[in-house]
Amino acid sequence: MKKFRTSKGLIGVVLVALILIVGLFAPVFIPPEAATAMNMTARLSPPTWDHPFGTDQLGRDLFYRVMLGTQTSLKIAGAAVLMSIVIGLPLGMISGYAGGRTDNVLMRLVDTLLAFPALLLALTISAILGPNLQNTIIAIGIAFTPYLARIVRGEALRVAQMPYVEAARSSGTTDVMILTRHILPNIMPAVIVQGTISLAFAILAEAGLSFLGLGTQPPAASWGLMIQASRDYLDIAPWTALVPGLAVALTVLGLNMFGDVLRDVLDPRSK
Amino acid sequence: MSLTYVLNRLLSVILTLFLITLVTFGVTNILPGDVAMMIMGTQSNPEAMAGLRASLGLDDPLIVQYGRWVGGMLTGDWGNSLIFRQPIAVLLGEKIAASAIIVVMSMTIALSLAVPLGVWAAVHRDKWQDTTSSSAALLGVSLPDFFWGIVMILVFARWLGWFPSSGFVDPAEDFMGALRHAFLPSLALGLGLMAHLTRMTRSTMTGILEQEFIRVARAKGLAERVVVWRYGLANAIGPVITIAGLQVGYLFGSIIVMESLFNYTGMGWLTYQALLNRDMPLIQATVFVIAAVVMLTNLLVDLLYLAIDPRIRLD
Amino acid sequence: MNALVSVDHLRVEFPTDGGTVVAVQDVSFAIEPGETLCVVGESGSGKSVTSLSVMRLVEFGGGTIASGSLSFTRTDGTQLDVAKASPQVMRRLRGNEIGMIFQEPMTALNPVFTIERQLTDGLILHKGLTREAARARALELLQSVRIPEPERRLRQYPHELSGGMRQRVVIAMAMACEPRLLIADEPTTALDVTIQAEILALINRLKREKGMAVLFITHDMAVVAQMADRVVVMNAGKIVETGTVADIFEKPQEDYTKSLLAAVPKLGEMAGKAVPEKMRLIGDADARAVEAAKTPVARKPEVLLDVRNLTTRFPVKGGILRRTVANVHAVEDVSFTINVGETLALVGESGCGKSSCGRSILRLIEPESGEVWLGGRDIGALNAFDLRRARADMQMVFQDPFASLNPYRRLKDQVAEPLTNFGIAKGPALKARVLDLFDRVQLPRAFLNRFPHELSGGQRQRVAIARALAVNPKLIVADEAVSALDVSVQAQVLNLMMDLQTDLGLSYLFISHDMAVVERVSHYVGVMYLGRIVEIGPRAAIFGNPQHAYTQALLSAVPVADPRQRKFRDDVRFKPITSPIFPTGHAAEPSVYFEVAPSHLVLQN
Repeated sequence: MKKFRTSKGLIGVVLVALILIVGLFAPVFIPPEAATAMNMTARLSPPTWDHPFGTDQLGRDLFYRVMLGTQTSLKIAGAAVLMSIVIGLPLGMISGYAGGRTDNVLMRLVDTLLAFPALLLALTISAILGPNLQNTIIAIGIAFTPYLARIVRGEALRVAQMPYVEAARSSGTTDVMILTRHILPNIMPAVIVQGTISLAFAILAEAGLSFLGLGTQPPAASWGLMIQASRDYLDIAPWTALVPGLAVALTVLGLNMFGDVLRDVLDPRSK
Repeated sequence: MSLTYVLNRLLSVILTLFLITLVTFGVTNILPGDVAMMIMGTQSNPEAMAGLRASLGLDDPLIVQYGRWVGGMLTGDWGNSLIFRQPIAVLLGEKIAASAIIVVMSMTIALSLAVPLGVWAAVHRDKWQDTTSSSAALLGVSLPDFFWGIVMILVFARWLGWFPSSGFVDPAEDFMGALRHAFLPSLALGLGLMAHLTRMTRSTMTGILEQEFIRVARAKGLAERVVVWRYGLANAIGPVITIAGLQVGYLFGSIIVMESLFNYTGMGWLTYQALLNRDMPLIQATVFVIAAVVMLTNLLVDLLYLAIDPRIRLD
Repeated sequence: MNALVSVDHLRVEFPTDGGTVVAVQDVSFAIEPGETLCVVGESGSGKSVTSLSVMRLVEFGGGTIASGSLSFTRTDGTQLDVAKASPQVMRRLRGNEIGMIFQEPMTALNPVFTIERQLTDGLILHKGLTREAARARALELLQSVRIPEPERRLRQYPHELSGGMRQRVVIAMAMACEPRLLIADEPTTALDVTIQAEILALINRLKREKGMAVLFITHDMAVVAQMADRVVVMNAGKIVETGTVADIFEKPQEDYTKSLLAAVPKLGEMAGKAVPEKMRLIGDADARAVEAAKTPVARKPEVLLDVRNLTTRFPVKGGILRRTVANVHAVEDVSFTINVGETLALVGESGCGKSSCGRSILRLIEPESGEVWLGGRDIGALNAFDLRRARADMQMVFQDPFASLNPYRRLKDQVAEPLTNFGIAKGPALKARVLDLFDRVQLPRAFLNRFPHELSGGQRQRVAIARALAVNPKLIVADEAVSALDVSVQAQVLNLMMDLQTDLGLSYLFISHDMAVVERVSHYVGVMYLGRIVEIGPRAAIFGNPQHAYTQALLSAVPVADPRQRKFRDDVRFKPITSPIFPTGHAAEPSVYFEVAPSHLVLQN
């Protein structure tokens, strides 16, 4: 646990905790009207006591919108990463452990999907399914699955060659038991680390999709949408871009730092 | 052996290209027969729609449609874009050239900054130099590139007025103008990419500096400068190029956002227009071309590696 | 006259997150011109840190010389305190007046530069030679380390050379500027025994010809006995004892030195003894250590394992269609038997197929052909279900104690796993059995709930043995089971294995590269070379009367832990091992043996 006490670990933990708290509780304390209420007299107001983060072109309060956007971001990114793990983990594990023809076929498929840039794949799927919250999750989830499957497969392959797996096999352990008791626990650290980093990338992807109008749809609060809306008012109201931009940055930064530290902490030798 | 390796890679590329066409076609056909509806709109007369469907071949089984699509691409007939009302092949040619400028420029920016920075961080591992450059890199990967783009527009175009904030200029007509227009999107892309490559260079180089041959080089009395920048870096070039090659895929995802932001009419912009307007033939073509370009880049990188690294050259 | 090197109260520290670690303290010794000083110790003794300090390379690994002096007599006769010299002066010293060779020849050369470039850059730097002159000198150097076809080697890259040849290149590099001191840090640890003999002889010859002093770092007492003029014994960062090689081996003063020497099996010391014998360890509380020699071993004249014509091949894929174009003949027509309660050792150098042979018997890899009978059952004919059951009778212990235990499971669960797999025990009975197994391998019960990373290498290997014993196997395949352990720990584990054999009537297939260990533990010995057993027979016959040329070569290459039996004064040269890869369709000849004496068989070439 000592590793968390480095400054990087500390910042990561604090940021992630802060984001989770905001994501979970902001909708409880902030009524949805607060974020959608337009105030034409206070359009593009710079940060003031009433509006600590300023207002947007419709006079909506940016503080409330950024807070509520946290949940949108986390919900979509979390669900998408979960989806990629649910599909990618068994796929990668079976591919790495079984080897041979199964591995060849599965990995050929994964390699093909990897030729499509993740953002392109997500945009295309979202555009074709029709952009909404659920399809954004599906789009990002599918786009991230091959990356996860690749990493899991590599790890499974490495672990499957370890002498303790050979020892388990030679003492009569069944394949199912080897997969669940020996291989799964040993690849979990890599999955958790990759999951955290994927979460960061998924938040970026959601922002990108929404920015292009192919993700979360208005009037929902989403960081990507807010940045998109700010484009025309950059000169007179740069805070409309900076506020959601910094929200994305802090979230992703926190997750990345947390992921980096997790990598060290989850190593059993470091306890 | 290396000839067989090259042939092997080529065969695998052809197989993957085939699989890419399958995936592209599959993804774009999740919803059935929308092209006719897109041309005529949802309110149009059903008989006319049926006629159009038949003439477009949308009533044929999927496998026949797939065959026609691939056959068309092989013979150079890529069909027409619905929104631009132009042959897709012509559109693609122009836009790929435009995007190539951005891809090359951003990769150059990223590599020329990332390699020295990554090596510097690895040499001073766990010292302030490492912390600084690693933190900067971490911050870089954490910001969405379109955010960088907006900052660039704000700073370099609106406030300082050094570079144009939007548009594309054909390099054949005005070379410097083309570079100036490509610069800001390339810089925004390059910074995000640089952050990534710095992290990768650092970790590759850290691994290399722990190797025995580095100690041997020091034991020979070579200066630290030679040990790091010749003995060490010569071993890092291959892995770094491979990672940079893999990032081309990431670049082609990001140019969709960046070209749209800067109104730069390249591949990314074209893909975005196709997606936004659900121009099915154009979506299929752009998605396929981007995947193919990404894969061919990786092939090129592999072959380059073959030329650089003596271990692979002779095995 | 001054000593060449005089180290005085050296203290080296490594600052870490958890505070400063003192790697070496109060170390003092001197090296006279032209002598070989061996620094010997187990892992963590600080011997490598000491050698790196002499070159001040230790600071590149994060260490600092906290106090003490390292006085070096330079070529011009002046004294230099290495601990305080400027980096510029140090660079002029390194590779010029002091040369160094390292443990890993496979990674000691830069893989992307040619041999010529790596041999010449030191010469160009220190001696100011032109590229042509440096090249001529490089050629000379390759000749002096006896590398065949030196012109061609200059143009080659490291991966095109074998391990032994690479170590010769590394030595040539270290010798390039004719240093007055050569530091050799475990230079033969990663090498096979015949190549080790060649390299040791080479270092001896160069030392003699150039009048150079050698600081030789090793963990291997046998190598010390062969190489040293004087010896420094180190333990836990401090010097235990210093003396001439004869004094250290014949009149050791300190208990640590004595126990270290007691733990080293000495080739030839089992001559005339009928059965394996435990090591007599000093300070071993277990009184059985002494009485072991008297205890009759539970042997029975009954065949347990019968291996007939076992052949295992690995396909080499190639060509555009990834077809099998050749086969590695890993195990080729191997036959032997092991009786109940006896040990057969398979011995040979890396790549000889001894490990593949062990794995093929357990069908962890599928053999190509041949039969394996265990207790009257044909293992090769079993289906997957029956094979799983049959594996209860044969268990394996692996080399790397760090990799053979699952890092995420508690030790008790790992030892219990085979029992639950076969439904042998449940609940309290399972718990009692696990406790019993821990007792048997002499592990404290407090370890039950621990994880592998909390244990030392020797303790882990005991856990691995406990796990193998759980299902009451008849045969244990021990694949280099003690090779990764420090010598004192190795002796304890060997004794444990011999105790278990006595108590439980176990049979061992003992796979090892270490002839001295094999001599200690085995009843029968099979020598493997290129996938075949070239000679097999009773231990006394193999060691006392070797008939096959390869067995003779192997035995002549083993260093003996006795300074009176020095072997490597002059150049020695062994036949390089050829490749066991043959194109598909290659018809391997059957192994035909003639009987030299009862059950002593030698392969007919």
